[in-house]
Amino acid sequence: MPAIVRTDYLTKTYFLEAVTVHALRSVSLEVEQGDFVALMGPSGSGKSTLLNLLGCLDRPTSGRYFLGAEDVSEMEDDQLSEIRSKYLGFIFQSYNLLQQYTVVENIQVPLLYQNARIDERATERCQRLAQLVGLGNRLDHRPMQLSGGQQQRVAIARALVNDPHVILADEPTGNLDSKTSDEIMHMLTRLNDAGKTIIMVTHENDIASWARRVIRMRDGEIETDTRNDTRTNLEASSTAFMENLNMLFSSK
Amino acid sequence: MRKFLIHWEKIQRTMVLALRSLWLHKLRAFLSVLGIIIGTAAVISLMAFGEGSMRDALDAIKRQGATNIIVRSVKPPEEGGGSGRKNMTANYGITRADWEFLEKINYAEAIVPMRIFQQEIRRMQFMKIGRVVATTEDYQKVNKFELAMGRFLSGSDEVDEETEDDNIQMRNVAVIGSEIAEKLFPFQNPLSQTIVINRFHFVVVGVIKERMPTGAGGGSSSAEDFNSDVYIPMRTGRGRWGDRVYIRLSGSRSSEQVYLHQVTLKIDDMDHVKSTGNAIAYALKATHGYKQDWALTIPLDRLIEAEETRDRFTRLLVLIASISLVVGGIGIMNIMLATVTERTREIGIRRALGAKRADIILQFLIEATVQTMIGGLLGVLLGLSFVFAVPVAASWFGHNLPININYWSIVLSLVVSVVVGVAFGLYPAVRAAELDPIEALRHE
Repeated sequence: MPAIVRTDYLTKTYFLEAVTVHALRSVSLEVEQGDFVALMGPSGSGKSTLLNLLGCLDRPTSGRYFLGAEDVSEMEDDQLSEIRSKYLGFIFQSYNLLQQYTVVENIQVPLLYQNARIDERATERCQRLAQLVGLGNRLDHRPMQLSGGQQQRVAIARALVNDPHVILADEPTGNLDSKTSDEIMHMLTRLNDAGKTIIMVTHENDIASWARRVIRMRDGEIETDTRNDTRTNLEASSTAFMENLNMLFSSK
Repeated sequence: MRKFLIHWEKIQRTMVLALRSLWLHKLRAFLSVLGIIIGTAAVISLMAFGEGSMRDALDAIKRQGATNIIVRSVKPPEEGGGSGRKNMTANYGITRADWEFLEKINYAEAIVPMRIFQQEIRRMQFMKIGRVVATTEDYQKVNKFELAMGRFLSGSDEVDEETEDDNIQMRNVAVIGSEIAEKLFPFQNPLSQTIVINRFHFVVVGVIKERMPTGAGGGSSSAEDFNSDVYIPMRTGRGRWGDRVYIRLSGSRSSEQVYLHQVTLKIDDMDHVKSTGNAIAYALKATHGYKQDWALTIPLDRLIEAEETRDRFTRLLVLIASISLVVGGIGIMNIMLATVTERTREIGIRRALGAKRADIILQFLIEATVQTMIGGLLGVLLGLSFVFAVPVAASWFGHNLPININYWSIVLSLVVSVVVGVAFGLYPAVRAAELDPIEALRHE
């Protein structure tokens, strides 16, 4: 498997008034296509900084970052926006849906910023994505009318709409109870089984146990990087889901 | 083309979004554009009322004739200090020599002499005090009025005893104003009836329709009311009264010797009015010396003056408008800045999902512009309803409020409100776009 994410000596230093904070110290990392990585570590370990850099929301102080074939570490703000809109999908702890939009409209948001027209096919794809994450009967609901789990599923559908290379999830279950967390993790695992690369920040071992690979960080450096052999398995078969998902994007 | 289409779609979508988020905060949006609404409404209605009354004034001047030059005899102030009794007869004004000079002016298409005196006009028991104006048929050429019935004084250039010319025949004929006709002939057709002016009997040959008074715009002339006028042929007047006129008004008696009270010249071209006017003033100054017994009125000058006043007024309005729109714009800016802070997280989300800085700027600019545009539209509607409602209300109280809606001002105020939206939305929009996406996402 080729590496879809590669960082070379990625460093991020914050120069504050009194102190200099080394948030990330020369992290080199490769993530293969189709992998499911859990980033763990105590607060201040640099895992969020790393996720922001991988998500092209921030630029490294030094080092290189290759996303697919492109070196994004030197890119301008506008180019980074384009990379985000084309290649990345985001899932946040607090869902971050736009309150004034309906479910379908929320899923459409990333398309607004791709220089493509939103035609009927695109709208239909958004509806089918909503169905895929189990919200087929709530297309016109607004986030306020949905439970946390449902909102996070909308967020997942939104992260999928541009068929990203990598899905970045920042504590996706942090605001959810354990049952709903399970549901969300099921969904992410299915996506991963369908070939999506996922990088997820979490501090819960339970959640990390769903990943194929667990990276623990401390003081801005990678402490351990292990393959997860005791990976939590899906209870039900997910072939139907995978087929649906693949069909959605092959028809694009 | 495709690119343009995509941008257009983007703008459309953003507009719809803007409308929706405005609808979400109806009251706030309304309050924030209130400044724009009131400003626009004020401009539209002030403009309509101002232009209306100004047009009224201009029309009044135009009725005097824009190509006319009016020379008047003016009774000079009493001279000398207490040297006993003065000559009872006042002798002043336009002289025969002046008249002969005026007659020679090439540019004059028509030249109308007038002798005017207040007289009691009688018919049986009816009496009305009016102006008796001795003049020629050309009077009709330089003054705009319509006849209700009959004809005006007639004439032809041929000096022939057989002619129909009232002047040469010295006929005792009169054309009367509408008010005289009303007063003296309450129940009858005045035509071919007889009226008495100072012992002499005149046959009514025509009645003039009600005329609007000419504007009192300048200092030299007061408003003239034509409806109590009686017009008689010049030669008839001179033959019956001579040069010296005794004016008998309700018992008092005075006399004056004035060759002509007024001469109105109709000039063939607007371009010649100014130079001819100057020439006349020069000539009269030379012959009359220090005797201030004449006055020259050039309506065109007053027209130009009035138009300048209107332009000044318009400039003042534009100033007021820009002040109120700036105030309105500050209101918008204030609310947009608050909105940016309030929606920091939304901005962060959009940035994370691929929005460029330009997209964020566009979004906030469009929101501001949609807001000010709606404000402008509401303002126009409010202003127009004022313009249509106030004159109706004023007419209940017997006031006449002329209006003149300048459609150009409506378009302009809409354009300006869009410009205000862009101008005052720009800073908040740039502020929104400058936010660091990570910080913005963390914002609670």
